[in-house]
Amino acid sequence: MNARVIGTALRMQLAESRRQPAHLLILVTSPLFAVMFLSIAKHSSSDVAIVNAIFAPALISLWFLSLDLGGATINRERWQQTLNQLIGTPARLSAVVFGRVLAVVLLAGLTFVEAYLMARFIFGVHVRIPHPWLLSGTVVVTLFAMAGTATALAGLFVLSRQVLLFQNAMTYPFYILGAVLVPVALLPVWLQPFTRVFFLSWASELVRGSLRPEAVSLWPWRMVAIAGLGAAALIAGVVMTERVVDRLRRTGEAAYS
Amino acid sequence: MTSYAVQTRGLRRVYTPRRTEPRVSLDGIDLEIEVGEVHGLLGPNGAGKTTLVKILSTVLLPTEGSAAILGRDVVRDRNEVRRLVGCVFGGERGLYTRVSTRRNMLFWASLYGLPRREARTRSEELIERVGLAERADEPVENLSRGMMQRVHLARGLIGDPKVILLDEPTTGLDPVAALDFQQLIREMVADGRSVLLTTHDLDEAEAMCGRVSMIDHGKLLMTAAVRDIGARLASADRVDFRTEDVSVVEKVRSHPEVTEVSPLDVPGTYRAQPASQQGVGEVIRLLLDAGVVSVSTTPPSLEEVYLHVIGDRGMAL
Repeated sequence: MNARVIGTALRMQLAESRRQPAHLLILVTSPLFAVMFLSIAKHSSSDVAIVNAIFAPALISLWFLSLDLGGATINRERWQQTLNQLIGTPARLSAVVFGRVLAVVLLAGLTFVEAYLMARFIFGVHVRIPHPWLLSGTVVVTLFAMAGTATALAGLFVLSRQVLLFQNAMTYPFYILGAVLVPVALLPVWLQPFTRVFFLSWASELVRGSLRPEAVSLWPWRMVAIAGLGAAALIAGVVMTERVVDRLRRTGEAAYS
Repeated sequence: MTSYAVQTRGLRRVYTPRRTEPRVSLDGIDLEIEVGEVHGLLGPNGAGKTTLVKILSTVLLPTEGSAAILGRDVVRDRNEVRRLVGCVFGGERGLYTRVSTRRNMLFWASLYGLPRREARTRSEELIERVGLAERADEPVENLSRGMMQRVHLARGLIGDPKVILLDEPTTGLDPVAALDFQQLIREMVADGRSVLLTTHDLDEAEAMCGRVSMIDHGKLLMTAAVRDIGARLASADRVDFRTEDVSVVEKVRSHPEVTEVSPLDVPGTYRAQPASQQGVGEVIRLLLDAGVVSVSTTPPSLEEVYLHVIGDRGMAL
């Protein structure tokens, strides 16, 4: 994938999102989620619950926006009839898709900042961050993994006309699988192995770990797990996107149905 | 070996949608467009024009046969072909309307692999050339239809293509904007580019094209130079004349070579259609002998040839 094409697509997505406030609606709804979670957490007076309450809304927003906006990237090109022109250029469609998705994920990343500011200034919760570098690194790797996963979803969704069904089905179950609301250790034992193939569970655990004073065990490997799963998803996304292109050239249609 | 701007050989495209019968969109098209030529592709809706443009721009594969742009095969050499071809569509298709013309141009320049500085320079040149410099930072959706069409043209030229495919580029434009757009195309051709223009507008084809091809139901029905197109009709030139004397009109009507006499828009003017070119001379002599001084001949128009070749399909598919 050409880095310049990715950068150009990223800038195009940011420019379009600036002109379409609906794209940024999540930045308004995310603090409302944070209010709900923080209210419950403050009532319980549990430090763990408060940490969860700050970062769960951010991770939820990140997943939701990636699913909603990132996942629909190729379909949006179809609707505005730019897909044929994109395919008719020497650039790879997957580079354009990844660039656009990356922009969406970066925008969604602002919800981490929002959640922290809500806790600090609305609820007066001062969260100490014992491992700031680990937290920063985890957020960066998580954003990359999210972009890779959303690229795969964009390729997957374009093959179906039931996009909304997929998008709706992939919210709450994935918050559980991603250990966003409940730590993996508290999930049913039979479910725990499934969480390990989903990068968000590693990310959630590492974010929580970076906010506790004790040393975080095996953090480099856990970081590699997030990056690896994200990279695998990105490769799958590139393959699927190029298959969409092949299918479109062969049949004249992008979707199977 | 001559390298044509566009060359197709037995080009066939069959769509096979699920649960419905296969549909032949192109059926053995043989077409050659010379370098530097403006070639019109005429045909009703569903004739196969857009399918041909899609194949030539590499976004659709042919089912059989071959197509080449400047000697490069659209399947085998698709990356080379993509650098040689620029596509221009009509309406809002293919533009990011929420962002500015400048943003659109830089985006497409990057996709065509132009280095950053060249992308900026070329974008500015093209924006200037299509007369949008003052509105280059406005969202495209704020522009008029004619201006949007100019953005399309600038976008289609960003990769410096040698062959431009224009797919109904003036659909929905008012006459002034359409003329303006046609002038821009002439300038592009003067730069040495070749153009394939698909259109419903026969006046536009007549004004712009050196040769035209007519296509229907996926078959190429004819290709001819616009100036010779009248010869494709069996009928001869028409004789237009002006007279206030109704008996002269009746004399012309009763001439054995004349198949039809019809009044024209201007009162006192008529058009006679002789059956042969010899009849044209006889009708002119008859009119001059009757003291009619306003007489002229015109060849059959492209519209007449189109209706003759394509037939009156109306809404039928």
